[in-house]
Amino acid sequence: MAEHNVTLRVREVSKRFGDFSAVEDLNFEVRAGRVFGFLGPNGAGKTTTIRMIVGITVPDEGSIELFGEKISPALQDRIGYLPEERGLYKKMKIADQLRYFAALKGVSSTDAEKKMDFWLDRMNLGEWKKKKTTDLSKGMQQKVQFISTVLHDPDLLILDEPFSGLDPLNVEFLMDVISEFKTNDKTIIFSTHLMETAEKLCNDILLINKSRKVVGGSLREVKESYGRNLIALRVSGGEQILADPSIISKRTEHADEIIVHLTNGTSAQSLLKQLVDNGAIVSKFEKVEASLNDIFIDKIRGSHESDELR
Amino acid sequence: MRKFLAVVKHEYKKVVLKWSFLIGTLLLPFLAACFAVVPALIFSLKGEPTRIVVADPTGKIEPRLKANLSAERMDARARKAAQKSLEDITPTQEEQMKRSTEQFAQGFHFIDYPTGGALTSGVRTELNAMLVNGEADAYLIVPEDINSEHASFEFRSRKAGDFVVNDAFKEALNDAVRSQRLADANISEARLEELSREVDFDAKGIDERGEERDSGGTFIASFIIGLMIYITLAIYGQAIMGAVVEEKETRIAEILFSSARPFELMMGKLVGVGLAGLTQLGIWVGSAAVIVSVIALQTDLSAIVGSLPAITPLMILYFLIFFLLGFFIYASIFALIGSMVTTVQEGGQFAFPPIMLMLIGFYFSFAVVRDPNSSLSFWVSIAPFFAPITMPVRILSETPPFWQIGLSFLVNAVAIAGLIWLAARVYRIGMLMYGKRATIPEVWKWIRQA
Repeated sequence: MAEHNVTLRVREVSKRFGDFSAVEDLNFEVRAGRVFGFLGPNGAGKTTTIRMIVGITVPDEGSIELFGEKISPALQDRIGYLPEERGLYKKMKIADQLRYFAALKGVSSTDAEKKMDFWLDRMNLGEWKKKKTTDLSKGMQQKVQFISTVLHDPDLLILDEPFSGLDPLNVEFLMDVISEFKTNDKTIIFSTHLMETAEKLCNDILLINKSRKVVGGSLREVKESYGRNLIALRVSGGEQILADPSIISKRTEHADEIIVHLTNGTSAQSLLKQLVDNGAIVSKFEKVEASLNDIFIDKIRGSHESDELR
Repeated sequence: MRKFLAVVKHEYKKVVLKWSFLIGTLLLPFLAACFAVVPALIFSLKGEPTRIVVADPTGKIEPRLKANLSAERMDARARKAAQKSLEDITPTQEEQMKRSTEQFAQGFHFIDYPTGGALTSGVRTELNAMLVNGEADAYLIVPEDINSEHASFEFRSRKAGDFVVNDAFKEALNDAVRSQRLADANISEARLEELSREVDFDAKGIDERGEERDSGGTFIASFIIGLMIYITLAIYGQAIMGAVVEEKETRIAEILFSSARPFELMMGKLVGVGLAGLTQLGIWVGSAAVIVSVIALQTDLSAIVGSLPAITPLMILYFLIFFLLGFFIYASIFALIGSMVTTVQEGGQFAFPPIMLMLIGFYFSFAVVRDPNSSLSFWVSIAPFFAPITMPVRILSETPPFWQIGLSFLVNAVAIAGLIWLAARVYRIGMLMYGKRATIPEVWKWIRQA
């Protein structure tokens, strides 16, 4: 039964373009009914990976399984894909475009009509149905593109940078829709480099950089594995303790506090004791959780540094 | 298959429901009708009759001239000219113009001018004054001795540029003088007509079954068919390219490719646009048939229709088949180009080679009309790229044996299969390549690796 809880399984997948390796030996799973954040800097290989999942390109090596089956054109109908660079036919009526995209996903025309009306109303685009793309604002166009992604009621929704270019109201709205999908037991993969959004929405994350996996797992696990020894401090004095590399592996200065990483083997308790013993005045001392943003920056920078060492 | 049909429907509607399609479909027959009717209409506008003074000291030329320029005679001449222009299928521009104008020559109004049997020097001054005062438009001074070698007929006109009048008048005068000279020599007019009758040059083509057929309108009809196929191929080929580039430019391709197989998408596009082209051709052929039958009902013009080659339903079927062959050949080339380039403008530059191929095919069709059975005609009506234009022309001017039509079909079908195979490979990769135009070596790599 465990098999059925996995929507997507990517195994040892590699993709090269000439000499350039876009994806290298990538392994991950996406569990059903979860929101999966696919994170990474630009050019990390996110879009290439997504293209392989939706069947636009084929991996050079490895295998991709969707809903427990090897990927095939038939399975494409169960995916809703919103590409990062997206467009609409410029001179075509909104309704006609949506009908076409629905038909390409194998939706019957009566079904498509019903769902289209539902979604257009929901997005407050009902009266724009018979207008052409060029008559719509950019935000409206993006909503239409989103409708085309969900019109066929997909089991897996893949959104590549869905929030780029949306105003805050529409971001909020789109996040609501995503949550709704999740409660309906659909799986959502979305790629982004907006870490705050990812943090709010994701159950699981995968961070890739330079075509390789950096870190992955449930958001909780990732954060815990990373942020166990993180302390936010407001202190005067005790400088020599904070500068001691045997106690503190890394420190980040913020406006009114310092975030320090404790070295392995150092407990928060002992840091506090040493500070107090040294006569420092501690006005804030709090164990904190790393933000996804911190993890992202740290991991990416880390992998760059290890690159430079090589 | 369902997705393929969805693409076909989408592409078909996209072309057919556009205003440009409606306008293009209606406009061409309308323009064709204009070309046929407008020049005739313009030349049929009659000007004021030319008022002419004839100073005839002999008193014999003027009555004959009057008779020659009478309404009945003019009409007879016009009929003769019309008939002649139909018989001769390759008249020069000048001749053509002359003939069509002769059919609509204006009338003459004679002003009496008694000379009293001799020309005085005052006559010329007086006549000139009449012209200047606007009492007359032209005058003719007949010499006293018309049989003299140096006899000169002075014609002065204020409408010197009206070549129609001048020509008609000159001919009428020539006839009048010749008749008078003959009469002077005691030879009757009837006798002369008998002797100088033109030979009856009966030119007809012989088809492969040895049956006679009129070659009259063949040239024109073949030209029209060749042009029609050439134009539709060029228009719909470029329509394909535009549609492909649009999907690439707007990144719709990414959504499409995540929904259906690239091959389905490309073929659906070709078939959908092809059907739209077929619809337009169908409308044209249909309206042409209606126009021809309407003309045929008007007895006056039935001679023109009668000289057209007989177009059988089988021929129309052949035309449509060869149109489709041509369409798929050129459309797959245009689809390939469309997926290589990044903008429509860039595509325009690359559209040159296929357009050139079409144009060469169109030019070859002239050679085919002139000699449908030459070995050149045989080869160009078999060769891919050219056959879709030259074969219909050849079928129209002289239907070749069936095996040649079949061979041509086969050769072109194979070419289509090859081109579609190539185009599909380039399309699949090219559609997802953004940013820059693909180079030829890159495209070659896609073809090999895909």
